[in-house]
Amino acid sequence: MGSAGLLLAPLAGLHSCAPGSRRSHIRGSMHGANHATGHLLRDPARLPDPTRTEAVEVLIVGGGVAGLTARRELERQGLQPGQVLLVELDEQPGGNSRAGHNGVSAYPWGAHYLPVPDPRNHELLAFLRDAGVITGTDAASDLPIYNEYYLCHDLEERLFIKGHWQNGLVPELGVPPAEKEQIARFFALIEELRQTVGTDGRDAFVIPLEASSQDEQFRRLDEQPFAAWLDEQGFTSPHLRWYFDYSCRDDYGATAAQVSAWAGLHYFAARKGRAHNANGADVLTWPAGNGFLVEQLRRQAQSSIRPDTVAFALHQTPTGLAVDCYDVATKQTTRVTARQVLMATPLFITERLLAGLPAAAHRPLPVHRVPWVVVNLTVEGLPQGPGQPLSWDNVLYGTDSVGYVDAGHQSLSQTDAGARVVTWYRPLSDASPEAARRQAYQTSYDEWVRQALAELETAHHGLTAQVLRADVWVWGHGMVAPTPGFLWGGARAAAARPWQNQLFFAHTDLSGISIFEEGFAQGQRAAREVQAARRPTPA
Amino acid sequence: MDKVPVRRVRRKASGSPSAAAALPAAPLDYRPTLLLGSVFVIATCGLIYELIAGTLASYLLGDSVLQFSTIIGAYLFAMGIGSWLSRYLGGSLLRWFIQLEILVGLVGGFSAPLLFLLFEHVSSFRLILYSLVGLTGILVGLEIPLLMRILENRFEFKDLVSRVFTFDYIGALLASLVFPLVLVPQLGLIRTSLLCGALNVVVAGIALYRFPETRPFRRSLGGALAASLLALAVTFGYAGQLQAYTEGLAFQDQVIYTKTTPYQRLVLTKNQRELRLFLNGNLQFSSADEYRYHEALVHPAMQALPKARRVLVLGGGDGLAVRELLKYPQLEHIDLVDLDPGMTRLFQQNQMLLELNQRALLNPKVRVTNADAYQWIRQDTSRYDCIIVDFPDPGNYSIGKLYSAAFYRALEQRLAPGGWAVVQSTSPYVARRSFWCVAHTLEAAGFTTLPYHAYVPSFGEWGFILAGRNSHWRPDAGPLPPGLRYVTPATIRDMRFFPPDMSEVPTEINQLNNQALVRYFEEDWGPYAH
Repeated sequence: MGSAGLLLAPLAGLHSCAPGSRRSHIRGSMHGANHATGHLLRDPARLPDPTRTEAVEVLIVGGGVAGLTARRELERQGLQPGQVLLVELDEQPGGNSRAGHNGVSAYPWGAHYLPVPDPRNHELLAFLRDAGVITGTDAASDLPIYNEYYLCHDLEERLFIKGHWQNGLVPELGVPPAEKEQIARFFALIEELRQTVGTDGRDAFVIPLEASSQDEQFRRLDEQPFAAWLDEQGFTSPHLRWYFDYSCRDDYGATAAQVSAWAGLHYFAARKGRAHNANGADVLTWPAGNGFLVEQLRRQAQSSIRPDTVAFALHQTPTGLAVDCYDVATKQTTRVTARQVLMATPLFITERLLAGLPAAAHRPLPVHRVPWVVVNLTVEGLPQGPGQPLSWDNVLYGTDSVGYVDAGHQSLSQTDAGARVVTWYRPLSDASPEAARRQAYQTSYDEWVRQALAELETAHHGLTAQVLRADVWVWGHGMVAPTPGFLWGGARAAAARPWQNQLFFAHTDLSGISIFEEGFAQGQRAAREVQAARRPTPA
Repeated sequence: MDKVPVRRVRRKASGSPSAAAALPAAPLDYRPTLLLGSVFVIATCGLIYELIAGTLASYLLGDSVLQFSTIIGAYLFAMGIGSWLSRYLGGSLLRWFIQLEILVGLVGGFSAPLLFLLFEHVSSFRLILYSLVGLTGILVGLEIPLLMRILENRFEFKDLVSRVFTFDYIGALLASLVFPLVLVPQLGLIRTSLLCGALNVVVAGIALYRFPETRPFRRSLGGALAASLLALAVTFGYAGQLQAYTEGLAFQDQVIYTKTTPYQRLVLTKNQRELRLFLNGNLQFSSADEYRYHEALVHPAMQALPKARRVLVLGGGDGLAVRELLKYPQLEHIDLVDLDPGMTRLFQQNQMLLELNQRALLNPKVRVTNADAYQWIRQDTSRYDCIIVDFPDPGNYSIGKLYSAAFYRALEQRLAPGGWAVVQSTSPYVARRSFWCVAHTLEAAGFTTLPYHAYVPSFGEWGFILAGRNSHWRPDAGPLPPGLRYVTPATIRDMRFFPPDMSEVPTEINQLNNQALVRYFEEDWGPYAH
């Protein structure tokens, strides 16, 4: 393995597995836990006072999908690159769509696909066109044509159940007929809900969720847990219930008992993608996952992105707002004044930053944020069990994780049958988020690797010996879960409202669903609000 | 931890005082030491049988981790059964021991040659493998308990256990070192197996002739012993031929060359009539009729392009398509892109193969590039008058991408205006839907297609598709080179006719996100146990 040396090159900060164990040869990095830069915010008083000042028109705090989208949109609306500045706490932007790479492949650290979008989502389609993801429009149907290299190639999903890899993720193998009936009934109901329109003429469920119908008969579903609704509807099949838990954990990090029925149904009924060469069930994916989309967002605007920069305090000034930004590299603080500040940060960060502003500016919205752990395994090979060969998304029935994706899936090469990177995801949804986060921060590198391999060995005997490297990311604050009442209870909408034409908010915390489309929609909305505030009010 | 003292107490209580008293009476008796020495041999050979079975299983069945762990598991379990069974052995224990040793020598010794021979002939090879592993394991498992019972009155129990297991484990260490470092490289699996068998029989012989108690049955067992040793020795002598025979069994003819490259296993076989190349066990060509395949692949396209200067060949690392191309003197440049340097090097160096491809890959007009075809055509910027696409059949999802509409669209970027591409497209007779799926996929990518087929005896009916864009094709557009043995203007006209059993059927388009072709191919070839 010529690449082995290359893989081990960055020795600094490398963790290793327990000596004497079967995984003692495994090394790798660990990110996220006890995030030094992020935790500077816990005690901002210890950060130095500003030594210099800088003035911009619009300051964006946070370089996740929402912040990057707003940056792009502000330029499209006419702001000059010099008028906008984005500060990002991490060493690079991307948020939950961050990606990494090594000598074998690029790989995702979080979000890794985008379902083929609803063609009515014009803003998203325009971005995808600029990104080369949409290559044209079919003259006859007027539907977008997607770049075939980005549409997920065949052998998309498989499920390891009863010692066998079956096609697709809905359990089929060995499922009793009575359960199969329930499964069929559920999907028939979903098909119906997908077509259903509320009394206001809007779709019952749609992405982005803000465009969904306000009809009470649907919004009521937000008040009860998904699991309770499923009980009511007689969806009791253990296999089906596993599938619901898997789906909710995959998209929300929380189980069917923890999310609202509206959110549970939205997961299934809101994907309405149409394309000339794909349909709503198809997804777009890249080796780097949504790191590809983040890179495209970044490239489609010129204004500065300042990484390793901790915005830690906001103040009111006579002309707008001032934000103290600490540069981790130079250890100096700059006071950035701006006419508008867009907070594209998770709400628990936003709250800390707004401490110096009047109460009316605050966003007291409690958010259920689930921690995640992601393990990127670089393997020499992946010993296969019986059934469908290695696919893009590979899920093990009845396990704690939501499975793994193969970063090499879209490869066109014949030569990479061997070494590859697989990304294993596990939401820590069994305990309360706080307890899970505390526990996660105390868990060692070796223990995460042990847990991932113990699970994967059940389907890939002998995998441990083939691991060249394991890199771990503990996402302590993971992402928002749409718990009952969160989506349509009213507090969410209030929290997103701008303050005094100076302070704006964009983050998937404010959507309640952490998917690319929502982050994008948040950024677009906030950018429009900023622009509206900047226009002179007619007398 | 307290198990040993408990046992010792119990044994002392039940052991005969006379036997215990006999201990100091035989201080110079070397025979117990001899038996302990045999523990060492037994342990070494026992582990080697296990290693042989594991190696053979991973060699013949693949997935070494799985094979090794299941073989070790089955073997240890069988040893457990043997140990348990040992309680039922009574009477003359030494006689049992000698019989067992001969049996272990035969079963273990012949295990490797037997498995090699049977692999090609038995449908349930795994059953034979595990039966043999189980039998060897049971026999080996019987040995140590039996020996301990034989020795129990000659040593104090704590010394007996300590010595027997010491020799047992040292033997295991020796085996694990000697097997990979000395035996396999020097002797090969078959000879190693036979040698260990002989050692077991020798242990039986020493026991038989060194212990006076064996006198009553020396004659009968002695004969069996000698016969076994002879059989093992003779087989050992013929091991070379046996090895060649078993390798050759996978192929009908004599294997004259094998090489495992990072991408595939190349095997060349030869008989009086022909030379055959196999890639991963699949026949690539037979020298007896490959001219039919390669003439049919190259000339229908090339005769339509009398002004062609530049040609691209994708796949075809054997240089046989290039040999046909070089019959057109107007060609100035041929790019050959093949994944495997092991393949192209073989066809640039091996004398027999250089004769076959007429040194095509050494021609100054030819540039050989070892690269991944898909990536190469996306990076290349030049145009070619003719592109020959000669990939392996779409038998897996990775190769299936080389037959996708997306690939053909990328291919179209490399084709000069008015040029022709030709694609080998599996058998329209065996894999009718696969063949027409390739044609329809080329059409979906914007090509005009001209499907045709040729009969190649080694392969059967074989299909090709000409693909062009605004290109004009006639079966007699230009002169064919002299000396062709199969293709003439009349042959070309015939090749374009599809009888009803191969005629066009509706199919899906092969896209990267549906891989329709691989599914057709699996279903079409499935009944032929491809």
